[in-house]
Amino acid sequence: MHRLWNRIDFAFSSAWQNFWRNAAVSVASVLIVWVVLLALGSLLLVLHSLDQIVALEKTKASAISVYLADTTPLSSAMDFKLHLEQDPRVSNVTYVSKDQALARFRQLPALDPSVIDTLGTNPLPASLDVTVKDIRDLGAIDQEVRNSPLVDKSPATNYEPNVIDKIILLARVAGIAGLVLIIGLTGLSVFIIMLTIRTAIYLRRKEIEVMKLVGATDWFVRWPFIVEGLIVGVAGAAVAVLIVGFGYRPAVINLQSVLIFVPLAFDPSYLRVVLAAMLGFGLLLGSVGSYLGVRRFLKQ
Amino acid sequence: MGPARRGIGFRNGFVFVPATTTTQPTRTTLLPEKARVATVIPAAPQISLDHVQKTYPNGTVALRDVTLDIPKQDFVFLVGPSGAGKSTLVRLLIREEKATAGTIRVEGQDLSRLKRRHLPYLRRKIGMVFQDFKLLPNLTVFQNVGFALRVTEGALRHLKPKVEEVLSIVGLEGKENKFPDQLSGGEQQRVAIARALVHDPRIFLADEPTGNLDPATSWEIIQLLLQINARGTTVLMATHNREIVDVMRRRVVAIEGGQIVRDEDAGGYHAPALESH
Repeated sequence: MHRLWNRIDFAFSSAWQNFWRNAAVSVASVLIVWVVLLALGSLLLVLHSLDQIVALEKTKASAISVYLADTTPLSSAMDFKLHLEQDPRVSNVTYVSKDQALARFRQLPALDPSVIDTLGTNPLPASLDVTVKDIRDLGAIDQEVRNSPLVDKSPATNYEPNVIDKIILLARVAGIAGLVLIIGLTGLSVFIIMLTIRTAIYLRRKEIEVMKLVGATDWFVRWPFIVEGLIVGVAGAAVAVLIVGFGYRPAVINLQSVLIFVPLAFDPSYLRVVLAAMLGFGLLLGSVGSYLGVRRFLKQ
Repeated sequence: MGPARRGIGFRNGFVFVPATTTTQPTRTTLLPEKARVATVIPAAPQISLDHVQKTYPNGTVALRDVTLDIPKQDFVFLVGPSGAGKSTLVRLLIREEKATAGTIRVEGQDLSRLKRRHLPYLRRKIGMVFQDFKLLPNLTVFQNVGFALRVTEGALRHLKPKVEEVLSIVGLEGKENKFPDQLSGGEQQRVAIARALVHDPRIFLADEPTGNLDPATSWEIIQLLLQINARGTTVLMATHNREIVDVMRRRVVAIEGGQIVRDEDAGGYHAPALESH
């Protein structure tokens, strides 16, 4: 117990001295770790938001709303509904009246309901919400219903075949670009931490020589430098974690007010995962960088 | 170091034993009681080199076919011109270098087979001092000596009494809180010797320990080494100091061009034939 404490005490006090003895290099390595982790955290949150949007769009994707002209009588609408229900490709049809459409619209987040009230009349059409069994039949059904005289022409349906593909593509491009950036920055930060550790070793070369001479084990000599790397990793991670942790919610709120129809949401449980991942990655960067730093130097 | 202590060390170094107790009188004069025992039960040499060769990667042959046995509690001067291979031999003994050929045994351990992770434990059995002392300038005398215990994971509650003990052996009581640059060269070497003693080494290697010291101080250091030897530690001292070697009449191993050219039990710096010139 005594010996373990001696080992820990020695490693931490030496590491702390090292950190401040070459403060400029240490601060540079903290900064680069900070940048990497900030990029990592932001990327994870952006990808998660895109995922959420894709998931939501997918549930909407197997259905289209067929907008009915305001002139269509309810009986014709019901006949049309029955006609659609008999189609083998269709699994379900729901009639949504103008009032129901208005009620739904009022529930959209980030939208001022008084905008509608100022119009005086209800501009929203009634619709038949058609759900298909196979998403690939959606295009054909869309084409068929457009020809019906009962259907409103501006627009006829809310069918947008490319929107999901576009979001998935965006997520993929963002993911790959972010990953390349993070891999590059990771390499750079490991390299800079390695240089920091090498500098610390150089400044302590006399002590290391004496330590080896009097019979200190390799790991006893190495630990202070590994701990120094961990301090760099944790310090960089701490700043990044604070920024992402406190910045995520305001960022989401700001984006929601700009992108009204994009279903962005604040997800605190995922944020905790991201922050833990950032801290873990910071520790990993620090330990890998310092291990590479000590590895070559202490071999004979 | 007080004169009384020095006196004891000096006397211990020159206590003579009747020659009948041993075939090697000068080697066994150091510790009469133990020496007698050692001659009754002959043990394997503490340090043995068997046809050792050392060639550096650049092709320089530093040692060729060196065979040497050093028994326990021996006191050996290793002499020879610069570049003769003295330092290489010392470095081989703490395995800072590996022999290219031949076998080196220290305390019965074959150094070529010693695993790297066991190396620190070998070094803890060997005290080592150098011409340039290798003290850490930012640590006090006490911290410099304690450092050796701290970094070898000795229990910290034994640190203070142990450091005080070795500092009193080398005669530096009262200077615990001084920094190396506040000490004379001789005092600095004493700190280095104290540091080498904290592990109670069985072997003490000194590479030119008096190389930076004036003659009077050199004598003080030699007497300290004799005292350490008298406590039962084998001492091997590589030196250029002709005067000391000639006066001491101890075992002398002379190296030239990487080979042992002379090994005498009570020798001088130069071979008798050369001295006549």
